Amino acid sequence: MKDTVKVSVIIPVYQVENYLERAVESVLAQTLEEKEIILVDDGSEDASPKICDRYAQQYPGLIHVIHKPNEGLGLARNTGLEVARGEYVAFLDSDDTVEPEMYAEMYAKALKEDDDIVMCDVRIIYVEENRSSVVASYPRQEIDLGDYIANGNNITYSVNKLYKRSLWEKNRYEKMLFEDIALIPALVTRTPSIGYVKKAFYNYYRRANTLSTSFTGGMVDIVRAFRSFLETSDPRYREEVVYCISKQLYWNMTQSRVLFQADFIGFLQEYKRYFLLNSYLEKDAKTRKILDYLDRDVIPERFICPHFGRPVPQVYLEKLKKDFPQAELILVDETTIPAEDLPDTVLKAMREGETAYAEEYAALRILCQKGGIVLKPEYQVSLNLKKLRLNRIFFGFEDDEELTTGCYGALKEHYVIQSLLDTYQADSIFNKAFLPLKDRLRDFLLLHFQLKVNGRKQLLKKEIQIYLPDVLAYDMKDGENCCKRADIPVPEGFEAVSGKVLKMWSDRVLENWNLYKQALNGNPPAKTSVQTGGTFSSGFSEQEVERRIQEVVEAYESSTSWRITRPLRALGRLLKK
Amino acid sequence: MGNKRVLVITNSVYQLFTAVHMKRALLKSCDVDLIVTDVTPQLKETIPRLVETGLFTRVIFGEVQALNRKFAAVKEEGFSEGFRNRDRLLRWVLNEKPAEYEEIYFANFDPFLRMLAGLYYDSPCECIWYEDGFSSYVIDYLREDRALINRHPEGIKIREKVKSVLLYEPRLAMRGDCLPNLALPKVRREDKELKNLLNHIFAYEPLENRGDFADFIFLEQSFRAEGLKTNDMELMEECRKVVGSGRFIVKPHPRNPENLPFLLGLTRRYPSSVPWELFLMNEEVENKAVITVCSNAALAGRLIFGMDMDTVMLYRLFRGKVLWKEDGILKRYLEKFHRQFAGEKYYVPQTVYELRSTLRYLMGQML
Repeated sequence: MKDTVKVSVIIPVYQVENYLERAVESVLAQTLEEKEIILVDDGSEDASPKICDRYAQQYPGLIHVIHKPNEGLGLARNTGLEVARGEYVAFLDSDDTVEPEMYAEMYAKALKEDDDIVMCDVRIIYVEENRSSVVASYPRQEIDLGDYIANGNNITYSVNKLYKRSLWEKNRYEKMLFEDIALIPALVTRTPSIGYVKKAFYNYYRRANTLSTSFTGGMVDIVRAFRSFLETSDPRYREEVVYCISKQLYWNMTQSRVLFQADFIGFLQEYKRYFLLNSYLEKDAKTRKILDYLDRDVIPERFICPHFGRPVPQVYLEKLKKDFPQAELILVDETTIPAEDLPDTVLKAMREGETAYAEEYAALRILCQKGGIVLKPEYQVSLNLKKLRLNRIFFGFEDDEELTTGCYGALKEHYVIQSLLDTYQADSIFNKAFLPLKDRLRDFLLLHFQLKVNGRKQLLKKEIQIYLPDVLAYDMKDGENCCKRADIPVPEGFEAVSGKVLKMWSDRVLENWNLYKQALNGNPPAKTSVQTGGTFSSGFSEQEVERRIQEVVEAYESSTSWRITRPLRALGRLLKK
Repeated sequence: MGNKRVLVITNSVYQLFTAVHMKRALLKSCDVDLIVTDVTPQLKETIPRLVETGLFTRVIFGEVQALNRKFAAVKEEGFSEGFRNRDRLLRWVLNEKPAEYEEIYFANFDPFLRMLAGLYYDSPCECIWYEDGFSSYVIDYLREDRALINRHPEGIKIREKVKSVLLYEPRLAMRGDCLPNLALPKVRREDKELKNLLNHIFAYEPLENRGDFADFIFLEQSFRAEGLKTNDMELMEECRKVVGSGRFIVKPHPRNPENLPFLLGLTRRYPSSVPWELFLMNEEVENKAVITVCSNAALAGRLIFGMDMDTVMLYRLFRGKVLWKEDGILKRYLEKFHRQFAGEKYYVPQTVYELRSTLRYLMGQML
């Protein structure tokens, strides 16, 4: 080990047994001699810890290993920072690599210009596609900070930068996903001397199932990260920062993380003034489109859980925490609304032990006051439910005739919810017989919004979205499910689905299949010459029919139904003639 | 000075029921002549018993149905000819000559009444319209554009003669004809003397087997008699499915050509032919529920007796041609009735689901 450490390379390690050695070797191969490598094993459960230890044994003094419980990437980097001795520090993700000259050239640049940060370009390697591309951080060698923030690239990356270690005396990563976005770009705005080596030294391996391409509830942290970026940046660069965020928001909202659109809209609205007055956005027609989202109402990420006379299952809370970690949870019980605020009908219901009736009223009341999503303890959410926040109000069918009230949502003080609450004051059968909310709701929607009681998706008067049973009641494994009943115990790998819904589903599949057959008979494709198996009277081989069955099954899953496209196909045939 | 001389005209069971009640409640000291017409053929049978009661000075039979029908089909010239022959026609249809009256009580603005109005046009006799169910609350029968006869100078003479309207619930009136609405006293179900009188007049025979009566009684209306295509059979079927055949029965409307609900297997045969109002007066009906599209009979219990009986009105679920030109007003009347008068046992389901819930609830209440 050299006495003077010019660069400390911090490599957080978590479950990367297949990639770790490649990363470490790329650092060992650096032309810069005076370096140290700090491997922070973040509680890995694969072979990574052993690999780390082997390196430490093999390169004592050069490679240090720290084993710690799992806390995430940011805190692992912080741990490395605590022990780093280098004049400068750099971060390397354990599944990426660096080019041999990287740290030597960047260190030289830093010394020469007395830079606090030096950055380089990034080569993105698309692993499955066997291709790569270089993303240049800036068009010129000299960094104009304002212009870089507004128009540069790779600003949020931790890993393509070399940092003077003293910068980290007052800065640390937060425990969150997207810790880079939360910290690095703001740090850049507060750092006046930034150098740039215009070479693609950093190799970023992009895979289909990595954090950046698959979704988890924790990814809502990205909004927190943007907020931190905005709030902790140097205010003199606010215009550029807001524009930089706008571009990232636009990409996230429309392409990479559409699922989180409601969260992004909430952020946009929170800082509405900055976005509306931004001069960069005025000139950028494409990115300016994010302003269109400013007026869009979004149902708050607030769950209202009515649980009169029964506890909330642990699994309910855990799933909510996992998929909606930032959501507010309001537990509604018998004491939430003071008795003097309840209508007579509800008080009577409580006196007579009609708990469900009173509970549904209380949930509706809180929903009206605050907005959000009512979720009964017998139901279980999935991350997909986020999409539904883009409605103004939504409900779903339980089967072809009844609506579910296990999960539904609305904006604060939505007039439909207010009107439903009003009906609790009326002299009606719903109150006399303490009928369930689903009956009241269905009849209300029938009368005022012409709901079609058919179990199908429908948008009522451009206001109320009604979903199929597979969205809010049962998981039919078609990728649409947002919430399902969880009060019926079934073995792992099975789903509980009511007989009515199953029949409804089968009927529809059969209906579509018949439509498909009709279309096929009306416009038969050319006969195939290969007929190795049995042949149907239509002249198709069994294999051909099998292939077509598979095609139509896939078509159901990925495209509009045959019923909807039927007129188009008929028109197509007509035009062909 | 003698008693006031009064004439009361009755065309239906409901009207005769009210006429008897009026004689006792309002016209006690008057000499009352009663005309019973053949508009409801069965009424003729009541005449001997009416005479026996001694309640009325004279009971006159009027064969006015043919006259009314004839005038329903004629044009202006036909009216003119008819009114020219008024005295002869009246002589022809009435079995006794009417006297001079100070007041004439009537319920329908039919051609027969208009002839009488012409007859007494120059005398100080006043005409008083008494209740005949919904229509008396809702329809301005003398509006010019409503019927050709209202534009005929003889036919419209009745307008000058009508001075007031007697209604069981005057506050519900909404005809818009500016006639004063006066209160007709309610009938007291406990009034045994009246009950005996009416039972005698209508030859009421108490039900031998009360078990034959179901908990839910659907009052059919005369849609088929009017040639109207409606969903009333579907509604009956829906109700029957919910409450079960054993607890459900349909009371057929006497004017419909056949008992279709029975023939379709929707109901058992209705075990009685007594007038509904009399049935209500005699039987213990508090625990029964009445279902109807919008039959006046279903409201009779409330209007006449002030009874609070479970009543399910299906007019919101009704599909078919409008009943009258005043359909809109009828709906408003029904709503007004619902809001201001009906009480807690009156149900107007707005969807078929609400109907099911209502019936299930009532079944639970009857346990």
